Amino acid sequence: MYDTDAMFDADVIVIGSGGGGAVAAKELGEAGLKVLVLEAGPWYGNKQWANPNNERGGEWSSDYRDLDVGIYKKMFNAYENNMNDVVSGVFRFGPADRRRTPWHRVMRQKGDIWQLSGVGGTTQHYWSQSPRAFPAAVDNIWPISYRELMPYYEKAEATLPVQFAPTTPKEELFYYGAKKAGWSLNPTLNVTTPGYRPNPNAILPTNEHLMDPNYRLEQLSDMEGCTLKGNCVNGCTAGPSVDKIAKRSTLVSYIPLALKTGNVAVRPNSFVTKILTAHDPKEGLRAVGVQFRDTWTGETGELTARTVIMAAGCIESPRLWLNSGLPYNEWVGRGLTNHCFDWVAGVFDEKDLMSIMGLPAVYPYVGHTSGARVDIPGTGIFQVSCLSPGLMSFLTYGFSEAGYDALNPPEPGAPWDIHGRVVGPQLKELMMNYSRTMSMLLLTDDETLYRNRVEVDPLLKDENGPIPVIHYTPSAKTLKKRDQLARYASETLKQAGARKIIRSDTPFGFMLHLESTMRMGYVTDTNCEAYQVGRLFIADNSVHFNGIGGPNPTLTTQALATRTAEKIVTKYFS
Amino acid sequence: MHPATIYSATADPHTFMTFRALVEAIIPGSPVFCVGGAVQAAGAADLCIHEYMIWELDHSLSLMLGFYLTNVPLSCSTARLLDAGAVQFAASGQMRYAPNHLLWGSSPFASLCPDDRIRVLAMLEQLNVDLGTLPPPYRDDGGFLRFMIDFLNRQTMFGNYSEWSAYGTTRLQTPTERRLESFPVSWRQVGYPGVVPGYRALRGNLLTIVRKGGESTIV
Repeated sequence: MYDTDAMFDADVIVIGSGGGGAVAAKELGEAGLKVLVLEAGPWYGNKQWANPNNERGGEWSSDYRDLDVGIYKKMFNAYENNMNDVVSGVFRFGPADRRRTPWHRVMRQKGDIWQLSGVGGTTQHYWSQSPRAFPAAVDNIWPISYRELMPYYEKAEATLPVQFAPTTPKEELFYYGAKKAGWSLNPTLNVTTPGYRPNPNAILPTNEHLMDPNYRLEQLSDMEGCTLKGNCVNGCTAGPSVDKIAKRSTLVSYIPLALKTGNVAVRPNSFVTKILTAHDPKEGLRAVGVQFRDTWTGETGELTARTVIMAAGCIESPRLWLNSGLPYNEWVGRGLTNHCFDWVAGVFDEKDLMSIMGLPAVYPYVGHTSGARVDIPGTGIFQVSCLSPGLMSFLTYGFSEAGYDALNPPEPGAPWDIHGRVVGPQLKELMMNYSRTMSMLLLTDDETLYRNRVEVDPLLKDENGPIPVIHYTPSAKTLKKRDQLARYASETLKQAGARKIIRSDTPFGFMLHLESTMRMGYVTDTNCEAYQVGRLFIADNSVHFNGIGGPNPTLTTQALATRTAEKIVTKYFS
Repeated sequence: MHPATIYSATADPHTFMTFRALVEAIIPGSPVFCVGGAVQAAGAADLCIHEYMIWELDHSLSLMLGFYLTNVPLSCSTARLLDAGAVQFAASGQMRYAPNHLLWGSSPFASLCPDDRIRVLAMLEQLNVDLGTLPPPYRDDGGFLRFMIDFLNRQTMFGNYSEWSAYGTTRLQTPTERRLESFPVSWRQVGYPGVVPGYRALRGNLLTIVRKGGESTIV
């Protein structure tokens, strides 16, 4: 039984080392607290795990000097199938051992859940867009104000750091089209009016010698600064050391800073299966630790702490709550938002590109994966987003809510020439235009609905317990906004000179920006502490009140995790 | 025997044939005299993407069955799903072209012409099918059926247009054992230069955040 005088293993246990957990660990370590981080997946770039997909390796790492850029670069080889195959890639939601299958989630609809296990979590392959929430989606809606978030945004932006993306050919073309379509430049981080701007990205500025032919490209890729190699999604490797890698996943930003405090230890390959609780005579029900399972040996362990932070992500945090038998709360797992994505692309003629940019192609494989956007508060965002050909082909031509274009072509007068999947000879012909195709990801201001949810299957289990089931059906209001965004994006492509426009009509179940399944104000208080379980905090996207109006959610999670760490110190460790 | 050959030999020939017909319908080969010439000739079947799909489906799911975590291979049941779809498609008189009767007995799906195979996929995706006659785990589970038809399309494209085929003789080994043996044919087809250390492509910075004394301004 829990003993109030017992020695705890740590001040804080953090479950998950992704976009939020790594931030909380660094902030708490800097405050002098002893922190243990448990991560389900592997650690790429640490001497304790020289062959992270083949061997069990060590158990813990707490030393900054364990970081090894040679191992990191060997693992992140930027080949898209090796890196991003959802079944067996370096980046997947599954155990470190790639001979084994990924961890399954039940989804009875078209789609795919792009989440990763591993130190750094999904930020290992995220595109690093780091915009703030739209103020209009927070003020008088969230239980806290946008102003309350601002100092924490500033701190997270300075720490990562965040900088506006440079212009490469695809951004130049995007700005050209956006201006002609009537959007004006919006030079701000606090977006209250529509307009275009470079993406605020968590990517180091471009290497200052990049355009100097006296430096070889191989040499530049071992120096500090982005080399515009276009592989953000397939694993960035530009940089001289792990903590100076250009794209600032938490694996290379917050985790090294956490280790530098000397107060943080991280244990990868450890899947937390249960939150341990106790009844405190003064505080009532409270968290006291966790039970976890070693993914290589199957052995279970327990660790105790004065406080526990759940940062396992929007699916695993509610799953863990439910599988731990914590008190019933009708909002646990409910209110899932996902920005109800769409994907629109344009194919250009060489002569048009020559006249606009003096270049014969869009070069979709050059520069930041996504470098520019149009923000439209109240509707959403469209951002230029170009990928390597395997990923681009399926997102543009193979992934659709609408079925096959040839069997159900667009209505006359529609702003797109193709709507839905393309297969057969037409697909091959379109893919021959890959280097002259510019694509855009659309992020919708998604309405929060109780029916959209994560629950656990009553029958199916994996080695970590009952498995999650995901349900997501957008509202009519969300779909109307999504359609409007597709029209805006098509117009920008048309104004830029695109000769053919493709709307994929992305499946609603394409889960990239999961948010709000453990909502502040319903499951937690404004400090992000669970109402029903004391000393249990949440520091991932799940604690967002809503989908923040459409902007990419990671920075808001990082700002909130910074704030939550401060609240934990004040409330329990002052 | 080479490991890749051993693996594909473990898939039953009907499953192999059905998947080959699937990927061929999605990304066909092209006559060498077409636009783009000989480099465009290879289609997904030439790049063995059917083997990729079988590997993916057989390594994607494990569940606790009794006391043990058990792999649930899905390629065979998925091939049977496509064949069951093809039979219902033919029975409902929707075929545009006569099937290849030599193949009908072993893989009804493969016996259809490519356009009709796509129509079978569309029919299954729209759930215009008697779900009770489908093989498990698709029987009476329209949601999983829709997920799978979508997966078959997008994963065929991802496999084909990624570097997978260039793993050559190591393509079906454990992922950590695969080695690139050539430049991917599909990357040559689309004009992707492959993985490079950088591009000298900076064309300016539209806006910059300047941080001083804990405050940031935009210039």
